[in-house]
Amino acid sequence: MAKKMVHLVFPQRLIKKPVIYTMAKKYNVIPNIRRANITETVGEVTLELSGTKENLEKGRKYLERQDVKVEPIIGDIVE
Amino acid sequence: MSYVKGLKCRECGREYPKEPLYVCEYCFGPLEAVYDYERIKKKLTKELIESRPENLWRYKELLPLDGEQTCGLNSGFTPLIRARNLEKALGVKELYIKDDSVCHPTLSFKDRVVSVALSKAKEFGFNTVACASTGNLANSVAAQAAVAGLKRYIFIPANLELGKVVGALIYNPILVAVEGNYDQVNRLCSEIATIYKWAFVNINIRPYYAEGSKTYGYEIAEQLGWKAPKHIIVPCAGGSLITKIWKGLKEFKALGLIDRLQTKIYAAQATGCSPIVTAIKENAEIIKPVKPNTIAKSLAIGNPADGVYALATVKETGGWAEDVSDDEIVEAIKLLAVTEGIFTETAGGVTLGVAKKLIEQGRIPKDESIVVSITGNGLKTQEAVVEKIGKPIKIKPNIAHFEESVKI
Ligand SMILES: Cc1ncc(COP(=O)(O)O)c(C=O)c1O
Ligand SMILES: [Zn+2]
Repeated sequence: MAKKMVHLVFPQRLIKKPVIYTMAKKYNVIPNIRRANITETVGEVTLELSGTKENLEKGRKYLERQDVKVEPIIGDIVE
Repeated sequence: MSYVKGLKCRECGREYPKEPLYVCEYCFGPLEAVYDYERIKKKLTKELIESRPENLWRYKELLPLDGEQTCGLNSGFTPLIRARNLEKALGVKELYIKDDSVCHPTLSFKDRVVSVALSKAKEFGFNTVACASTGNLANSVAAQAAVAGLKRYIFIPANLELGKVVGALIYNPILVAVEGNYDQVNRLCSEIATIYKWAFVNINIRPYYAEGSKTYGYEIAEQLGWKAPKHIIVPCAGGSLITKIWKGLKEFKALGLIDRLQTKIYAAQATGCSPIVTAIKENAEIIKPVKPNTIAKSLAIGNPADGVYALATVKETGGWAEDVSDDEIVEAIKLLAVTEGIFTETAGGVTLGVAKKLIEQGRIPKDESIVVSITGNGLKTQEAVVEKIGKPIKIKPNIAHFEESVKI
């Protein structure tokens, strides 16, 4: 099992859809939500994902295909 | 004697010991250094600061080391210049340039953060340091780690300006040019940081590293005669500098080193990468990551790690934000050069371009004190201007040809 801390940003049209749940079921990934903030136009969720390395990667790609931005937890660190 | 109590989560407030930690294990929020201000207040006076050498360590009680500084002993305390020609050009009364384009040793404000980061990394006992960088940080880590005798791994995106590549390689680091965009360098480094026991200055040392930026704000206040200006314009990439300038000024106020604090802080970004500015203009709480596309590569961070805190800084101070196009960046670089004799890099072009815009919009009044943050040197980003500044007039070595070619 591998773990990944990620920050997800959802566009408005996805806020009401169970995107995380669908991803979790599809790829057997366990989500553990630590923080969330939903406003009128965007939503952001900070969470830990556990699963096999392969499935985590598939899960990330799935989310990105749905138009969710998937970012490493501390934001970009390139400076 | 240390004045640092420990680390604290910026989101949930949970406290952590002084270790190379950077993220709260509960809410995944970023950690920040906290100090014993009561004790600092008893010791740190204007007189004591003024009696010390002119470098950033004159404020050492407010920096997160336990022992004495060991790196960057000559960094900081750069000029604060009254910009009379620029005042005329912009039609304002009182304008200053805080000029970190001449910060020692690698000509950008990153020398401040790296001085603190490497001193701390040595305290922790690391023998290898690393960073992910768009250039300036790479230069500073490479140089300062060389002086400190530390092994150094530097990761950059492969398409960086030549000046920044050379400015790193000259210090003989292990320079890794990642084929991919900034996002990909970033992902890779956050993974590498979990595998190797290195001091990644902007990852696991980040809570200490970031504190170094406060000194930029301290110096502005000290150099203005222990006064804070009315307006400061700050370039934003990750959003750390702007956040820490504000933290620094608030600390000075709390310690009684300045009497009043009514400074408004403005965020500056390039239009081709403006997630922070966009959020401020749209009054949003959440930063939407973007794909950068601008000549201001040092500011090209699409998903700013401290974006929300940059946002909070602007809101709290009553400031505002603007962005400028690549052409406006170049114009501003040229304007600063011909008015004040300062050759800044693209980030400085962004800051001055935004300052000009905000003044023209009336957001910044013309009769109040304004500080423009110039944070990097133009010799490192020559590609940005080389096609836009004319060419030398070539002549044969005789008077006739000179007079024929050069219209006097
Ligand atoms: C010259 C220059 N100015 C400003 C910044 C912005 O700093 P921050 O990432 O703290 O917002 C950078 C960051 O790389 C930089 O290189
Ligand atoms: Zn926390």
